[in-house]
Amino acid sequence: MRIVIAEDDALLREGLTLLLRNEGLDVAAATDNPDDFLSAVAEHEPDIAVVDVRMPPTFTDEGLRAAVEARRRHPKLAVLVLSAWVEQSYAHELLAGTHGGVGYLLKERVGKVADFLDSLHRVAAGGTALDPEVVSQLLVRRKADDALSVLSPREREVLGLMAEGLSNAAIGERLVISAGAVHKHIGNVFLKLGLNSEDGSGDRRVQAVLAYLDH
Amino acid sequence: MRRIWAALAYLATGLLTAIASWLALGVLLLSVVILPLLPLTAPLIRRIVDADRQRLARFTGVSFPSPEPLDGPWLHRAQRVLADPDSRRDGSWLVMHALFGTLFGAVAVGLVGSLVQQPFVPLLWWVVPGGIENSFGVHVNSWGEALLSVPIALVLALLLTQLPRLADLDARLARTLLAPPRASLEKRLAEVVATRAAALQAHGAELRRIERNLHDGTQNKLVGVVMMLGIAERTLRQNPGGALQALLRAQDAAGDALEELRNVVRSIHPPVLEDLGLDGAIQALAARCPVPCVLHAEHLGRLPAAVEAAAYFAVAEALTNVAKHSGARHAWVSLGVSGQKLTVVVHDDGKGGADEKRGTGLDGIRGRVAALDGTADVSSPEGGPTVLTVVLPVEK
Repeated sequence: MRIVIAEDDALLREGLTLLLRNEGLDVAAATDNPDDFLSAVAEHEPDIAVVDVRMPPTFTDEGLRAAVEARRRHPKLAVLVLSAWVEQSYAHELLAGTHGGVGYLLKERVGKVADFLDSLHRVAAGGTALDPEVVSQLLVRRKADDALSVLSPREREVLGLMAEGLSNAAIGERLVISAGAVHKHIGNVFLKLGLNSEDGSGDRRVQAVLAYLDH
Repeated sequence: MRRIWAALAYLATGLLTAIASWLALGVLLLSVVILPLLPLTAPLIRRIVDADRQRLARFTGVSFPSPEPLDGPWLHRAQRVLADPDSRRDGSWLVMHALFGTLFGAVAVGLVGSLVQQPFVPLLWWVVPGGIENSFGVHVNSWGEALLSVPIALVLALLLTQLPRLADLDARLARTLLAPPRASLEKRLAEVVATRAAALQAHGAELRRIERNLHDGTQNKLVGVVMMLGIAERTLRQNPGGALQALLRAQDAAGDALEELRNVVRSIHPPVLEDLGLDGAIQALAARCPVPCVLHAEHLGRLPAAVEAAAYFAVAEALTNVAKHSGARHAWVSLGVSGQKLTVVVHDDGKGGADEKRGTGLDGIRGRVAALDGTADVSSPEGGPTVLTVVLPVEK
């Protein structure tokens, strides 16, 4: 798996490179600003880009803009965005109009290397990885609005875990329910959100997550 | 002693403006006869009264805003002078000050004059045929009478120590007449609102700065720690011997994070102010400055925390500018409290030309100082020197 990194903090950039190389992954380039990042993506055609949200020159959301731009230019590129804090609108902006291959994690998740690599592989394979913090923000917000009120509390819970990127088996484990029950809940979510058509376009799980973020 | 000097200076300059007031009153009487002179007289009076306002501000450390300037077309001005309450107040001040300012000023100057005279009385009385007049109606024409100079000098010195009281009395009188009348309290309120808004804005900018320092500095360093520990953990599983390096790097990163955190905390309210007081803290700043810097501080005592912090950051910012931009070889910082104000002056021998619009540093100082009702002035002609003067009121 070939990776391009964009992170302006030298310590984190080198640490991330070291960490990924130690795991036998191919870090093609580690850049510290949006322009270099975009050229590196064009040059190395990586499978996935790991991008910090805050970058020069204004240190607001240049990294996110660069990630969105990189995906516009290279639709197959998977992007994992790292941030010092979670902002749900960022997640939404990243996922809008895509078919997966997007992740949004708090920076410190990198420390749990096994989980981080898991998320990285999942996103590179076209899945999603939303930070549990993002998901819990969304769950808090859900209480105040009824856009997804068609879903039962259990179904919403399952959808939240799907957004985090968990597999059916992992969701079953987390909620202590059988694989069959998980399957049933997910089927209901798809049905209620109108994702039951088997037109083969994109990943229904990702679309469900998008619907989740949309409301 | 300082208070006596300040009182003497206040009363003596008061004598000068009182004399000017007499002249102005004369011109005023004349222009009552020759009415067209009135619009020309009014600015003259305004100028004299404004000088008094500045004199009073210097003495009390509280600024007294001047009324709206008299401008506009001639006829409009003439109307203004007659209708304007500010002008009428100026007029009544002129009369009061002509009377009391002359009296108080004469007492102050006379007192000092008589005191200076005393050593000369025993030396000179026998030179002048028929003796000389001394204070308190004493006529000196014998050695016995000449020796009276000792008690006379003592009494005069004692009276001199009471000069600050006289000056305070005069200042109190002046304050009631020169302070803005009730009507302009609205204007004052608008000023307060504006400075409060500036303070809030400065506060907001300060919060953003702290937030950014915490997120991009401290937090990143801590993420680095977590990351290095993650690497150490993975290495430990695969190749225990190689984990040490990652652990050491994690340790370094944790040390850096602490250092960052200390810096952020220091920038909020420098603990050095608590420990060393304002002069000690600024001494430390001066010692750290790459340009040799001499500090002159006088009996500061403890001042309100906000005033100390504002003065500290003003000097810190000014010395940073001196080191970065001025090309100076020496810098001087002086701090002094007199009356009810703290005056801070930072002065260098650099090339000058400090552009206030370019850097936000001076803006920051101004905002912080204005929020405390103080003033900050920069004088920096091309070729230097650059002088920053910050005056902060100190309510005791």
